[in-house]
Amino acid sequence: MLILNPDRVRFGDIAWHDVLSIAAEAAPERAVVEWSDLGPHAAFADVPEVRTTLKVSRSPQADDLASVKPGQRGVLEFFTSPGADARRVRIEADCIIERTSCQFITGKGAVQTITLIALSPDGAADPLTIEPV
Amino acid sequence: MSSSFKSLDLFGSGPHRFYQGRQGQLLMLDVALGGFTPMSFALGLVELEVFVRGRLIALTESGLWSQRDAITAQLLHPPTPGTLIDLHGRQWTDMSFVRFEELDRTDRNHRRTLGYIATFRRMIAPEAAPEG
Repeated sequence: MLILNPDRVRFGDIAWHDVLSIAAEAAPERAVVEWSDLGPHAAFADVPEVRTTLKVSRSPQADDLASVKPGQRGVLEFFTSPGADARRVRIEADCIIERTSCQFITGKGAVQTITLIALSPDGAADPLTIEPV
Repeated sequence: MSSSFKSLDLFGSGPHRFYQGRQGQLLMLDVALGGFTPMSFALGLVELEVFVRGRLIALTESGLWSQRDAITAQLLHPPTPGTLIDLHGRQWTDMSFVRFEELDRTDRNHRRTLGYIATFRRMIAPEAAPEG
């Protein structure tokens, strides 16, 4: 899921301005694939451990010195930008900051990337809560 | 065809594979007996081991536990031999079920699954047990 120019992005009590995009990725932390004695092809597969990551890309302000740190926990909340026909959607996730980085891109300026790990409340529910507004 | 031990389909809920252990002589070195030569003594052919490595699969926690309990119920003392049959009909007679090892933890996503290794051995004297 890729949300461009999300609206009203907050991490806990912190409002993040000038957010360019938020990308949600789900990757296998551990996958199980099994074969039988009956042939060469996999007979079973599952992903018992999934890591859901959110990457927030934003343009940091010149006076934006107070930055989040790895290990910080908070609720990331943002809204999709309203389109002509599409409904606005609110997305929320309880997250831990994994890393932050900055780079300068010619033509774009400074871009800060904040990577968060989204947590499930009980290990079974999807970490992302998506609801129409 | 299904695999079985004593006509029971213990492992059929998920994929599983059979392989045999090391075969041949049990060798004892002279130095291990206090000697000072490079000689070795052949004490006899080691007991054949057959391993079954696979994954149990169930829809529910209780379903997975039922499968584990059915397997461990076959771990008897003293062991009572039976016939082990693989997925291609290969039979090993007089096999005793001697070990069931669960690999890692239970995995949970679209199924409840558990990896395992089951060990069977053709014991020379399965009914023998040490005194006391």
